[in-house]
Amino acid sequence: MAITARTRLVNPRLGTYFGIFAAAFAALVLMALMLEQLGVGDGLVRLMMFAGPLAFFAAIGVGSRAQEARDYFACGRRVPAFFNGLVLGVAALGGAGFLALTGALFIIGFDAICLAVGWYAGLVFMGVLFAPFVRKYGAYTLPTFLGRRFESRTVRIVAAAILSVPILLLLVAEARFAAYAAAWLLGQSERLMVAVVMTCATAIIIAGGMRSATWSSVAKAIVALLALAVPVTTVALMVSNLPLPQMTHGNVLRLLTRAEINQGVPIVLAPALAFDLPREGVEQLVKRFIQSFGSIGSLSFVLMSFVAAAGIAASPALLMRSGTTPGVYEARKSLGWAVLVTGIVLLTLPAVAVYLRALVFEQVVGHPGDSLPAWFQLLQQAGIARIEAKTQVVRLAGLGFERDAVLFALPIAAGFPQVIVYLALAGALAAALAALASSLLAIGAILAEDIVYGLPDETAPESARIGTARVAMLGAAFVATWLAIAAPADPLQLFLWSLTLSASASFPVLLLAIWVKRTNAWGALAGMITGFVVAVVTMLLGETGAIGLPSPLAAVVGLPLAFVAALGATKLTPAPGRNALDIVREVRVPGGETLYDRELRLLRLKNRTAA
Amino acid sequence: MMERNERKPYWRHTKVQMLTSLLPFVLAMTVLPLYADALNDKRILGMPLGYFLACHGLVVIAFVTIAVFVNRQDAIDHWHGAHEDL
Repeated sequence: MAITARTRLVNPRLGTYFGIFAAAFAALVLMALMLEQLGVGDGLVRLMMFAGPLAFFAAIGVGSRAQEARDYFACGRRVPAFFNGLVLGVAALGGAGFLALTGALFIIGFDAICLAVGWYAGLVFMGVLFAPFVRKYGAYTLPTFLGRRFESRTVRIVAAAILSVPILLLLVAEARFAAYAAAWLLGQSERLMVAVVMTCATAIIIAGGMRSATWSSVAKAIVALLALAVPVTTVALMVSNLPLPQMTHGNVLRLLTRAEINQGVPIVLAPALAFDLPREGVEQLVKRFIQSFGSIGSLSFVLMSFVAAAGIAASPALLMRSGTTPGVYEARKSLGWAVLVTGIVLLTLPAVAVYLRALVFEQVVGHPGDSLPAWFQLLQQAGIARIEAKTQVVRLAGLGFERDAVLFALPIAAGFPQVIVYLALAGALAAALAALASSLLAIGAILAEDIVYGLPDETAPESARIGTARVAMLGAAFVATWLAIAAPADPLQLFLWSLTLSASASFPVLLLAIWVKRTNAWGALAGMITGFVVAVVTMLLGETGAIGLPSPLAAVVGLPLAFVAALGATKLTPAPGRNALDIVREVRVPGGETLYDRELRLLRLKNRTAA
Repeated sequence: MMERNERKPYWRHTKVQMLTSLLPFVLAMTVLPLYADALNDKRILGMPLGYFLACHGLVVIAFVTIAVFVNRQDAIDHWHGAHEDL
């Protein structure tokens, strides 16, 4: 009888464990709150809110060590759908969602929703188009799946080389976000925190690979969601008597719209291809919250949501996670949970933005510059808000806000205790760490499995495979730290570039590999290389201003061309062999054994008989 | 394990399900934000209708899409005997 994944049962006490964790975390926050009220020094409270959650994550991560390759790369295939979806949702959002998107919503209002749409639409696409099939094959990394599907070692190596680029960009971006939150939390410089955060993230996952990453990321997701919910729900209770910020920010929004009209905030109309996302640092508020297409044109809005969706759907770092579920059904269901989690988060973030903006318009704009409310002076001293032009009354034209600080500026503005501000920061840090863990693991696994062991046969002993992955992860962490310190580009921009690259290099080939049986290795190579090169060239041209296409939208050119190249090359070359066709046929059917596990089992048997 | 001659109908069924799940969603995702400004005069739950549809509406549509897809695709698997053996 075949030993299937079913024989390894899901741990029935997961809910209890993470319930205990949530309670312990709540106790930690309450304890910090009490200490703060008792007058204990600010430094100690900050340290508590930084090191406390990290100690929990590290304990979970180091405690779930792994010695088998299946544990190390696929968490033993026993993560239930809900937990997988939770981690997937929060890792997909990461610091880019929690910090940058909130700021973008605050500064350009409605136009930033194009990114939010991209996030959950990407998860829907992933669930319908890719995840069940990738799970049925069960490869540990995406290049392994592509290499086996096209029966070509070249495809595997090329895919590994090309897909490492978007993962590396994502890694650097999330390292910057994590360092940003940690720097605010500890009051240290951001450069130092990049190294600290990267060391922590690596230390948490290096012992158990995917196993550590999964279970510690469940804890990170709980922290991130709690930290997002607590301040904004309290504000919602204060203004509307209902603890549902997602549904009740309408009244505040109406007041905000009226105040904006009274202050004479202009209605800006952008050209269809304009793409003016707020950059890193202090940005000015220019348009009304509710008005659409003032900073991002209508065409850019739609294109951006599709590019982001394709980028998330085919993201190698996120697709790797589909291998951890016990079966194909669970993989499908986990995407449902992921859409639910991201959906709720992405409905909460606009509420944060609306509340803060309403406060700013109620109490700051149009008021005399020398009698501003205390909370705004606090924000000014911290460097989060800035009034540039010195006029009698504060005008919108001279008012700037730091983009990534909006999430934790709300608790400051609402006059909450410092611990709640630190809680918001700890949540953003946890979300960025979850994204950091998934991308670090993905790049380590790709380097070890596809580049080191992809060239010779895949029969290396499991301890060697795990050891190589650990070394690769350390190397990747080192490179990413160096990049984040040496070339500090805007992290949101890096995140969008990573999406556009994975949308044009990975999405078309993956789609054809599963849905078009005739696609062969030549088609895959042509598609990947064309998509990647065209996207990179378009991005460079867009950045230098040679063409009018904004660089995050480069996939608009790259993705269709990659499809054309892949289909054209497939048409001109012979059909794939019988073995490749068999793999596609089996991948399409949920029933039966996980293909990659069967393959490894047969290899092991063959080696035993040969020896 | 499914019968050999079930493969083609199974895959046809799956493809149709994929399209019926994704096409309405893609359509909503393209069209709803474009008309947000025009709809903003009307209100629902105290929010401007255009904003509400683009923000809350799309999330609900996305979740319903994926939930219905999971449910229907499971039914298709069982109908053709392609389901996982439990």
